[in-house]
Amino acid sequence: MDGLSRYAGVIPEFDRFVEAIYRPLPTTARINGLKTGRDRLLTRLRGAQVPCSPFPWYPWGIRMGTDKPGNLLENLMGHIHIQEEISMVSAVVLDPRPGERVLDLCAAPGSKTTQIAMMMENRGLLVANDPANGRVASLRSNCERAGAINVAVTRYDGRRFPAQKFDRVLVDGPCTGQGMARKDPAVLGRWSLKRSLGLQRLQVALLKRGVEVAKPGGTVVYSTCTFAPEENEAVVSRVMERTSGVSLQEVAVPDLESSPGLAEWGGSSFGDEMKRCARYYPHQNDTGGFFVAKLVKE
Amino acid sequence: MERAEVAEMMGSRFGIPPEAFEAVSFFLRGRNVWAFSLPEVPDLDYEAVGLRFISLRGRVPKPSTYALQLFGRFATKNVVDLSSDQARKFIAGERQSMEADLEDGYVVVAHQGDVLGCGLYSRGELISQLPKERRIGEGGIENLLEGGGR
Repeated sequence: MDGLSRYAGVIPEFDRFVEAIYRPLPTTARINGLKTGRDRLLTRLRGAQVPCSPFPWYPWGIRMGTDKPGNLLENLMGHIHIQEEISMVSAVVLDPRPGERVLDLCAAPGSKTTQIAMMMENRGLLVANDPANGRVASLRSNCERAGAINVAVTRYDGRRFPAQKFDRVLVDGPCTGQGMARKDPAVLGRWSLKRSLGLQRLQVALLKRGVEVAKPGGTVVYSTCTFAPEENEAVVSRVMERTSGVSLQEVAVPDLESSPGLAEWGGSSFGDEMKRCARYYPHQNDTGGFFVAKLVKE
Repeated sequence: MERAEVAEMMGSRFGIPPEAFEAVSFFLRGRNVWAFSLPEVPDLDYEAVGLRFISLRGRVPKPSTYALQLFGRFATKNVVDLSSDQARKFIAGERQSMEADLEDGYVVVAHQGDVLGCGLYSRGELISQLPKERRIGEGGIENLLEGGGR
């Protein structure tokens, strides 16, 4: 319960939330449309006696009845990418189109990068940035396996990404990862308010830079896998205060249950417009936890 | 690197039609051909751009596993579709004897019509060219057998 009891007043059906957070995650993957067709892949898996069913909210996501999806032949061929269900929502909200210029500012290990490349049908430009040396290796490896040819990998400090103009920017920032507790319960023990506040400074700087490098009319999506409002609404609110000409759009994904962002927390008021953000809790869709905000630049 | 040159390499060896590469640009870096979605990249300091496509290190051009996984489905010659037992050996990185209608050299290796990667066919033997970090040893693959998981 470390670090979770503080949310008892804001998370709906808190008992169900607590119960869900200690259950292991279902095994999920994303079908890679760059290399195979959806029906072809499903037929292949079923023929090999691997139970699988598509998500109700996203046709490219599947739940699988296997413990070791990494050993599947379909994974080796890059026809599937092992990815947690709720993390697929960032790219869906970003909604990149073929031929656009897109930036994934905190890209490693590349689950969302390869999803964006697929949505762009391998066309246009996708810059996948991550400063960490070790993490860039996994990013490159995942892009290779996915067959992404529209990805250029850079290693800038995201806070100082060079002046460029992008149609869409994803800022999937580093966070305390409380929403990953079902995968790794140790994240709960590592949480502290101090860590959240320390990351907040970095998150604000990353999102601010993300907004700056978006074209007029461009879309910026901010996402984290933590519940802490200090790293979510507080970050979005701070960046919007400091940047003119940015508005929040409603995040609503059909058939995926969510709760609105928080208008206030711990004595701070973020304003009612923050309710346009989406919070995803483990008991709502049997997934990890997640936060998504969609900003549009004038 | 002209697209036509790459299309010619992939066409003469595998019968892949040049239209398959219409939306792709190619550039030479060291002794590798890389594939990218755009003819030019914006002015940034890059770690990598696009997908490693063909190695020109050897006597003949060698397509990368990833190039064949993406474009091998359009191949009309020098393609071999393996049985599940043969595929298991291939992904373990092994060599195996095989009577097949293949010219000596690099071939597209598939299983149930889906491309696994690149093999080298020489004197009746198929030698897996799968990168070491992608190989999965015997018993690692769960779902190779048609109609039966392992």
